Amino acid sequence: MICTGCACLCDDIELENGKVHNACIKGVALIKKAQNTHFTPVADGRKVDGEKAIDEAITKIQNSENFAIYGLDTVPLRAQQIAIDIAKKTEGYIDDASSLCMGVFVEEILLERIKSTTLEEVRDRADFTLYWGADPFNSHPRHISRFTYYPRGQFRQKGWEEDRYLAVVDIRESYTSKLAKKIIMVENDEEFIQSLIDVANGNTPSAYLRDAVELITRIKKSEFGVMFGGLGLRYGLSDIGLLKNLLDELNNLTEFYFIPMGCHPNMRGFNELLFASVGELNSYSFRDGIRDSTFSFSSLLTKEQIDTILIVGADPVASLPFEIASKIAKANVILLDPCPSYTSKIADVVIPTSVSGIGAGGEMIRIDGKKIKFEAHSLEEITDEYVLKRIEEAI
Amino acid sequence: MVKLSPMNLYQLLPKTNCKECGEQTCMAFAFKLVSRERELVECRPLMEDSKYAQQKKELEELLKPLEDATETGMIIYPERCVGCGNCVVACPVNVSEDPHGCAIGLGPKNDRVILRIVDGKVQAYNVSTCRRFGKNKILCNGCIVTCPTRAIEFAEG
Repeated sequence: MICTGCACLCDDIELENGKVHNACIKGVALIKKAQNTHFTPVADGRKVDGEKAIDEAITKIQNSENFAIYGLDTVPLRAQQIAIDIAKKTEGYIDDASSLCMGVFVEEILLERIKSTTLEEVRDRADFTLYWGADPFNSHPRHISRFTYYPRGQFRQKGWEEDRYLAVVDIRESYTSKLAKKIIMVENDEEFIQSLIDVANGNTPSAYLRDAVELITRIKKSEFGVMFGGLGLRYGLSDIGLLKNLLDELNNLTEFYFIPMGCHPNMRGFNELLFASVGELNSYSFRDGIRDSTFSFSSLLTKEQIDTILIVGADPVASLPFEIASKIAKANVILLDPCPSYTSKIADVVIPTSVSGIGAGGEMIRIDGKKIKFEAHSLEEITDEYVLKRIEEAI
Repeated sequence: MVKLSPMNLYQLLPKTNCKECGEQTCMAFAFKLVSRERELVECRPLMEDSKYAQQKKELEELLKPLEDATETGMIIYPERCVGCGNCVVACPVNVSEDPHGCAIGLGPKNDRVILRIVDGKVQAYNVSTCRRFGKNKILCNGCIVTCPTRAIEFAEG
């Protein structure tokens, strides 16, 4: 079976006698919680059955004037497509977590301004791996062992000691940096990027001279390099053009690619679907027909611009800053989620749905753009796709 | 947390080199404690003299993980393990025994591997094929250096 615990989408998970084999603790927590959680549908504070909760959700959506859909990063592509159709029909807003994290990078990749590759290629060919502002040991526990550093690949048969080089650029030490052959702690990401560009061009940088020279020398020696950009890089950059310049320079030295370190299993799937549908990635208003940062979920909440929110597979009350999250409760909240969360505590309508990969089959697009298919293992609970389809048909 | 090592054990032993245990020095006794050739009760001053009571307690606590250690001296701390699989993929025995599974980063595809992840925690199997097994052992450290949380340790370091 497949694990949808993070963006690795590990496909070698086995269930045997109630034990989960090969999954990390994130995956085990998700899989076991999915099997053991008993979560009841709620509508306006009353426990109801699932169908009644869906009817209540439909009524709230039909009565709303400013409707928004948020989340969707943990559900299969078909459910995401239906959600996009609902937003289109209701002329609502639609957004996912990518507006806060990896959307900027994914957009550059989809517009082919940045060269990207698949994780299988990285495993088979990469001899230089750089994690920038990311700690995959915590966020994607199997990322390092499955794809980047420890596995043997088709052209990397000698193992990590001889065939691979791992470097980490971060603001602080992390578990990942403990594994790396080189760690560079930077205070200012843009300054270090500029230093790397300077060294790649044969100029003397104004800062980080030794580290920049060492890194560029190593990249020059490598045959296939890849940079994984995490949230640290995302928030350390005010201008994505600088990163693009760096990647162009590195590509002059060797074959060099970039992959974002998105955490949600199907965030890229949502980005690609919306991109195919309207040419934009997130923060889209179907009423205005445009994408704008003012239509991102956090901006809409800040301005108290929405009266009804459909949240699918997300917990914004926990993940957004308190000032913004506290405004969620002012709107009618409809939540589709497998497990109780902070958002489920304030939601007006809660519809428990199955966990993708366990109770729901379908397809997801991994953060590197590879489509992963998976089957449902148990069909005891209703799926996000079923609920969203019911809503779409009713409106 | 104090690491289980001969030096740390020695610091807690009486350090009188009384030879009552049969070893020439307390340091030699500490080494044999770690390799499980000797037991703590063989140190008579430590057991009998009340002034060593606190050290005795600390030594017993320090040696406790050895009770669950494998024959190769491998100690697994499940509370520190996150199931990343670095050790599974980096272990040279796993790589040679399972070239189409562990070697390329996947879960084990046969039962001959030494390390595998069950319920998100590493577990040891087939320890007799580990490079650290037996008298002619090689002090391989593939599973230790790849674990930043120190979930795997060997009694002999």
